[in-house]
This record gives sequence, structure tokens and C-alpha cells, in this order.
Amino acid sequence: MSSARLSWRLLVRRDGHLALVLAILLLWSLAGSGLASLLLLPAWVITAQLIFAGSLETARLRRRAWLGQYLRVASPWHRLLSGGLVMIAWHQLLGLLLALLLLVKLRLLAPVYWPLLLIGVAGLILLRSVMRRRLERHVIAEYVPAVTRRLLVWPLGLLLTMSLVLLALWLPQPYLVGLGWEEALMRHVAADGHDSLLGFFERVARALDVTQYWAMQNATERGEVSESLVLVGWLLLLLAQSAFAWAYVRLLMGAETLREATLETLSMKIGKERE
Amino acid sequence: MTTPGGSQAGPSVARRWGAHGWQPWGVSLLLVVLLMVALAQGHRALQNRSDAPLFRVVVSGQTLTLDAETHAAFGRELAELTQGAQSRLEQEMQPWIDERVEASFAPLQAAVPAYLDWYFSLRGSYHRLGVAIVGDLDEWLETQLSERLIEESGFASALAELQVDFPAKLAQTHQALAQDIGQTLHTRFVDRQSAAASDNDDAIHTIDLDLTLSQAFQGQWDTARWGTAGAGAVVGFVTSRVLVQRLASGAAARGARAVAGRVVARLGVHGARSLATGGTAAAATAPSGPGALLAGAATTAVALAGFAGTEYALLKAEEGIYRADMEAELETEVARARAEVKQMLESGTASSAAVLSQQLEVATRRAEKSGGVNERYRIFGGEG
Repeated sequence: MSSARLSWRLLVRRDGHLALVLAILLLWSLAGSGLASLLLLPAWVITAQLIFAGSLETARLRRRAWLGQYLRVASPWHRLLSGGLVMIAWHQLLGLLLALLLLVKLRLLAPVYWPLLLIGVAGLILLRSVMRRRLERHVIAEYVPAVTRRLLVWPLGLLLTMSLVLLALWLPQPYLVGLGWEEALMRHVAADGHDSLLGFFERVARALDVTQYWAMQNATERGEVSESLVLVGWLLLLLAQSAFAWAYVRLLMGAETLREATLETLSMKIGKERE
Repeated sequence: MTTPGGSQAGPSVARRWGAHGWQPWGVSLLLVVLLMVALAQGHRALQNRSDAPLFRVVVSGQTLTLDAETHAAFGRELAELTQGAQSRLEQEMQPWIDERVEASFAPLQAAVPAYLDWYFSLRGSYHRLGVAIVGDLDEWLETQLSERLIEESGFASALAELQVDFPAKLAQTHQALAQDIGQTLHTRFVDRQSAAASDNDDAIHTIDLDLTLSQAFQGQWDTARWGTAGAGAVVGFVTSRVLVQRLASGAAARGARAVAGRVVARLGVHGARSLATGGTAAAATAPSGPGALLAGAATTAVALAGFAGTEYALLKAEEGIYRADMEAELETEVARARAEVKQMLESGTASSAAVLSQQLEVATRRAEKSGGVNERYRIFGGEG
């Protein structure tokens, strides 16, 4: 009994931040349109910040490795190039865009996708523990978590993208064969959505979805395959799903990074107080 | 990719604005707010620039031009009115149904005492006996019931009239209701019309609500979709033999008929007795030859004459016993049939109102979508 509770608490302490992130995302995707419009600002800030934290760490790591490879130890360029305001601004912007994409996509997400996202988190936890054990023997201790994250992003992102694409292909779509593009948009993008900024984003995302469906359906259904349409359809599909998967994985990684950084700061503070 | 802040400031600034602490959150917040303001401005500009879709609604003979928002409100109010239409239709039909059913069944009710008078009269009784002897009493009684109670009383024609009048009244009420809905909507929305006129005529969706209302109404007479059958069949149900059979099959009616049966049995005994006393047993046992025929006729006549004497009292007693019960029973049956007719008319009204609101909804949606199929399409996973 107590051991079960202990392991449960351990799990919460170790992966509570991921659960928190998932809870926030779930709340966001389930909230009514009015509430979501109100929540857009905090949700955007939080997700953007998480994505930013993860991607800045990755970028710094990469930059340091590059500099260490080519520059002399004494060179002042080490300091100048180790990642300053430009890098921060760039990653802030990237984080903002990815966060917006993630949030808008989550608003339109069918509930069937949620198990996949949960499996993604479970896969992250599993892969992380396996990798850490493997890496401990080879990587400098200070960098193990960061390198683990760095190595996790790609396989996790790719797997998630592939499953998202397959799910998108398997799920029923509105029937758009033989319709003009404009007509398809007119018919399937709800014009009566709420009149907020979020509603506008949702409509844009929906229009993109419909465009993708329209291109794919009409390319395969008209007898002769129209190559440009196929290209448009598949590009949109792959881009949309991979961007979503990328943002999601980045978000999880950011949560990991931020948790670690927070723990580090806390322990440093405690150490200072003891001194 | 150098930091623009100068060679000395770089790292410390970077650390300050880096991944730790609350500053990056502030930066994110600031950026998000800026972006949101900018995007909201852009959104508003886009909204102002683009042609807002206008809706031209033809309602109660006049055209209203509504913008999208007002049109949505219009749709909501229409849905509300349609919801209310059902109960209103029922309310408006109810007095008419009550009155007409009452009026139609009045002659039937009035005919009951006369029928019973006939039934227990001397002529009726003997007629009944005669039929009991020679043929199928049940069938004959049913014929009598339907002739005397239903046709001669004028109930049949009253019911047929009701059968014709009910759909007409329903149609009229529908029409009035539709007009009322149209006028209500018109008065509510005539002041809320969109001032902006669109230069682009394609952007205007025209919805002819008048046409839709009349179509929704027409549609249900094309097919017998409301209830299990059309109104005619509903009302026709009681004019048929069913009512007669039910009237004839009550316990008291059966009892009265059983008396007649016993009388016939007695008659048989009488015949046998008279044959025995008449000393014509030989003729009876040898039924061939003209003598036997003559003897048979003679004994029957004698038996009937004897019967007339002895059994008349029995018939009177029968009347005393059964008349009150039969009357009560007939009246109960009439009341039951009346309640059934009324209930059928009411359920006919209710289902027609339900179909009306459903068709109104469908037709309105069709008008808005201008006839679209919304099937599903799968790339993987086949149909379903």
C-alpha cells in the first residue's frame, strides 16, 4: 500500500510537469469558444514559453558544440557567438508561431487524436529512461539530460508525425469530390463562428484543412491524377501534421527543460541560504 | 548571428534574457500581446474590407435584407417560433375538434333510444326471432345496427363530412400559423435590416421563407407521412364495420341475443312437442312425400301460434332485463368511439405539426445551403 503510494508520488514528482502540460492542453481544447477566447493570451504565453525554453537550450547546445569544434579556447568570439539577443528573439518568435499553430490545431482536433497524444507522452517517458541509462556511461554528466532531449526530439517527432498522418488519412473527411475549391470552402468553413481573433484563426485553420482534403480528394478521384493537386494536398497534409507534431514534442521537451532549470535554481538558492 | 548589444554586454544580457527566471515570460507576454493587437487590427481591417455576406429573406410577401449576424438571430427566432408552432397548432385545433366530434356523434347518440325501441318492439323482436330461426342473427343484427344507428341517424354523413373537413381545417390553420410566423418575423426584423448594400450580387443569399413555409405545408399532403395513415383513414376507421361490430359485441347485447337463442331452442321443443301430440310422428320420421311437407308446415304454424302466446311475455321480460344495460353499453361504446376519433384527430394534428416543424427546419437549412450533400469521404478504411 505505502510502496504503491510512494511509487505514485515518485511518478508525480518525476513526470508531474508533463501531466500538467497535458491537462492545460486538454482544458484548452475542451473549453467553450467564449472561454477559449479569454484564455488565448495565457495559453499562448505558456505554450510559447515552454517551446522557447526547449528550443533555446537545444540551439545553445548546438552552438557551443560548433564553437568548441572550430574556435580557439581563448577567442572572444566564444562569448559573442554563444547565443545572445538575436538567438533569443528568433526562438521567441519561433515559439510564438509554433504555439499558435499548436493551440489552433488543438481547438479543431477530433477527440480520436487524444489517445495518440497520450501515447506520445508515455513514449517520451519510456524512451527517456531507456536513453538516459544508455547515455550515462558515455556522455558528460552535466549534459546527459540535454543530450537526451536533443536525441529524443527527432524519433518522437517522426513517429508522432507518421501516426498523425495515418490517422488523418483514416478519419472520415467531408465529401468534396467534384466541388470547386471556393464552393468547398463556402460549404465547410463555418461562417457563423465567433467573431474573435481565435475564431479567425480557427477559420483559417479549417480553410487550410478543407483545402488539403479538397486537393487530395479531387486529385485521386478525377480519373487522371493531377500532379500539382496531389502535391498541394500531400504537402499541406505533411506540413500541417508535422508542424503540429513538432510543436507538441517541442512543448513536452520545453516542459522538461523548464522543470530541470527550475529545480536547478531552487537547489542553488537552497545552497546559498545554507552558506 | 552576433548579438547587437555590443561585445561586452552580450553574454550578461543574454543570460538575463535567457532560459532562466521570469524575464523570458515577460518577453513572451509582451510579444504575444503585441502580436495579438496587430493581428486583431488586421482581422478587423479584413472584416471591414470583405463583403459581409448579406441575406435576402422573403417573408410574408416582403423582402428583408439582413447581415449575417441578424440572419443568424432570424434563424434562431424562426426555430423558436417553429417549436412553439406545434403547441399553437394543437391549441387552435383543439376547440374545433371538440366541437365537430361532439356534433358528429350527437345523431348517433340520439339514435340509440330509437334503436332500442325498435329492438325491443314487437315487430323488432319477432323479426329478430325470425332471423334467428332462418339465418345468421349476428350478421343481420350488424346490418340493422349499421342501417338504423349509423346511416339513418345521419352519423355516417356527419363523419364523412368531418373526414373531409378535418384536412381542410388543418390546412387552413397551418396556413394561418405560417402567415402568423411570417408576420411576426417580419415585424421583428423589419427594423433590423442591414443598411449596407452589397455591390456584389453573388454575395447575397436569397431565402424565400414564404415559399419554404408553403412547401413545408404542401409536402405533407404529397405523402402520407404524418401519423400511420392519412387523415381520411384515421376518420374512416370508425365508420367501417368496426364500430358496428363493437356496438354489437357488448355483453348486454350478447345477453339479449342469447335470450333470442334460448327462445329459438324453446321453439324447437315446442315443435317436437306439438309433433308428438299431433300424432304425426310418422310423417316426421318419413320426410319424403307431399304429406310430410304439408304436415311439417302445419306443425310449424301451430308451433309459432303457440309461441306467440307463451313467449311474448318472455320477450317483454327480456326487455326489462336488458334494455337498460344495452343502452348503457351502446352509449359507452359511442363515447369510446368518440374519444378514439377525437384522439386520432388530435394525434393527426400533433404529428402533422411535428412534420411541419421538421420540414420547416429541413427546408430552411436546404434553402441556406442551396442543396448540398454532406457525405463523408475516407482515403483509408473504406466506407463507413
